[in-house]
Amino acid sequence: MKRRFYRLAAESAESLRIAVSTMASHRLRSALTTLGIVIGVMTVIAIIAIIQGLNQGFEASVANFGTHTLHVQKWPWIMGPDNWWTFRNRKPVGPAEVRAVQRESTLALAVAPQVFSRVEVTRGDREFSGALLDGTNEQYLLTGGGIIRAGRFLLETDVDMSRPSAVLGADVADQLFPGFDPEAIPGRRIHVAGRPFTVVGVLERRGRFLGMALDNNVHVPYSTFQAIFGSKRSISISVLAPPGRIADLEDELTPILRRARQVPPEKEDDFSLNRGEQLLKLYQGLTGALYGVAVGVGLITLIVGGIGIMNIMLVSVHERTREIGVRRAMGARRRTILMQFMLESAVVSAIGGAIGTALGLAVAKVVSLVSPLAAAVTPSAVVLGLGFSAAVGLLFGSWPAWRAANLDPVEALRYE
Amino acid sequence: MSALLIEVQDLRRVYTVGGEEVRALDGVSFDIRRGEWVAVVGQSGSGKSTLMNILGCLDTPSGGSYRINGSDVSGLGDDELADLRNKEIGFVFQTFQLLPRSTALANVELPLVYRGLPRWERRQRAEQALDAVGLSNRKHHRPNELSGGQRQRVAVARALVGEPSLLLADEPTGNLDSATGEDIMRLFSELNARGHTIVLVTHEPRLAARCPRAIRLSDGKVVAEGAGRDVASLGAVEARA
Repeated sequence: MKRRFYRLAAESAESLRIAVSTMASHRLRSALTTLGIVIGVMTVIAIIAIIQGLNQGFEASVANFGTHTLHVQKWPWIMGPDNWWTFRNRKPVGPAEVRAVQRESTLALAVAPQVFSRVEVTRGDREFSGALLDGTNEQYLLTGGGIIRAGRFLLETDVDMSRPSAVLGADVADQLFPGFDPEAIPGRRIHVAGRPFTVVGVLERRGRFLGMALDNNVHVPYSTFQAIFGSKRSISISVLAPPGRIADLEDELTPILRRARQVPPEKEDDFSLNRGEQLLKLYQGLTGALYGVAVGVGLITLIVGGIGIMNIMLVSVHERTREIGVRRAMGARRRTILMQFMLESAVVSAIGGAIGTALGLAVAKVVSLVSPLAAAVTPSAVVLGLGFSAAVGLLFGSWPAWRAANLDPVEALRYE
Repeated sequence: MSALLIEVQDLRRVYTVGGEEVRALDGVSFDIRRGEWVAVVGQSGSGKSTLMNILGCLDTPSGGSYRINGSDVSGLGDDELADLRNKEIGFVFQTFQLLPRSTALANVELPLVYRGLPRWERRQRAEQALDAVGLSNRKHHRPNELSGGQRQRVAVARALVGEPSLLLADEPTGNLDSATGEDIMRLFSELNARGHTIVLVTHEPRLAARCPRAIRLSDGKVVAEGAGRDVASLGAVEARA
């Protein structure tokens, strides 16, 4: 038993030594041989790092957007191309539904209606066109809408009394009050869609979500919005669920909304309950497909690289026929020769894989430095790169190794 | 332990070349005792290479039997043959057959690698074997840094290191000039004097004459057997005729 272990250890060490010295004595050939593996592994590692980086970034922004919030809306966030007309024909979500949810839901921690319009906001001769006017209530911040930087958010009395109060997103505040200390902005007057408003607060910068700017909003009381634009627009109701109970909230809201909208029992829901998680799933589906393509491309490159390895191993076996004969004469079994050449092939390939992994991570790093794409290096990607390349070496080295192992020792020794 | 190291009985080896049967060995019988130095001599095509391959457990006979150190070789599988070569046979080849990218020491260690000895023991025994052939100052040289005679000495050290029961030399002086060849023959003579059993396969009667005993092969049969000098001169006569 001990002998067998020593023998295995000694043979492996010998094989490794031979593999390394063969590579060292054929540097150019080894480099060219492993190039396919290097490129394959590099591509896969770089793409995986970038995709994982994107996913992490996206998850963070979805979390920022509110993971515990349901959005009751006329339109679903995700729909096929065929049923647009069905959604178009739904009746708008109106104040009756808002009242029904506020009155009947026991789970909802906060309920914020939202109505939107694109407007122009001005202060003297400074203007911000294309601001997103958001008619909402005092509970909006709770449903995942940001943090107050200066002043205050809307109050219940602002809504009850339809006051002309406005809370500005960071971009709007910067544009209308350049160089101002945020604390100095509340109390100043602006014009929204030509009507005078008083700024009561400024929000912290929120960044972008799915390429959508979140800092160009102007929040005003929902009642004030309706006084200006009427109440025909469909409302989006943001409802905050207790942590982990968003599915329960969905179950509770569905019958409440069906009653409020008088949907006959046999008809389907004529409203949508949207949530950030759906977008995350959609997004992960998309990047999953990208992942698949990347891994597919990488696998093809690895196969091409593997064929290169197989080719060079066949040449190597041919060149070293006499060495194989000598080893067999000295007492190497077929299995020993097989192992030696497979190990050599795996080592060559794994070194290529290691170089490819390093280059792939470097590429991902460079991409994350020069572009907004983030790159995340996970240990699993590194293990994957090394493991795959070694496996390719074993797989494609097996046939040349098998040929080496099955050489007739007499013929091999005589080979010129 | 029997005094007989090698027992060859009615040994046959038939090849089929292009549909035609070639009897490379056609009923060869002889014994070799421990400690003997025997030349197998014959012209090319006489079957001496085939005999050497079978004696070295590189090939198996088609008929008859071959026993070395008590084990019957016929009917052994490939792994068992490999183990037998490792344990019982030390090869010395005409073309040295050293691994070009390994040092003298690593070359000599090779049979011990396949025997599964730990590194320190391999190292120690390989150094001793190199000492024994007078190359202790060339341990870390690669074959291309050694002269032909030195290379053959490394090969002899490699053949000896595993303490095999048989030293099997195939034209060991064939690639050496006559002075160096003489050195190697003297080395064999010393080794024989120290008790090593040696079989020397050659086509040169001159070398066979140096061996205490010789077996002459022709057309796959033993045609003469006796003291090296006698068998060699017979060959000389045969060659003249």
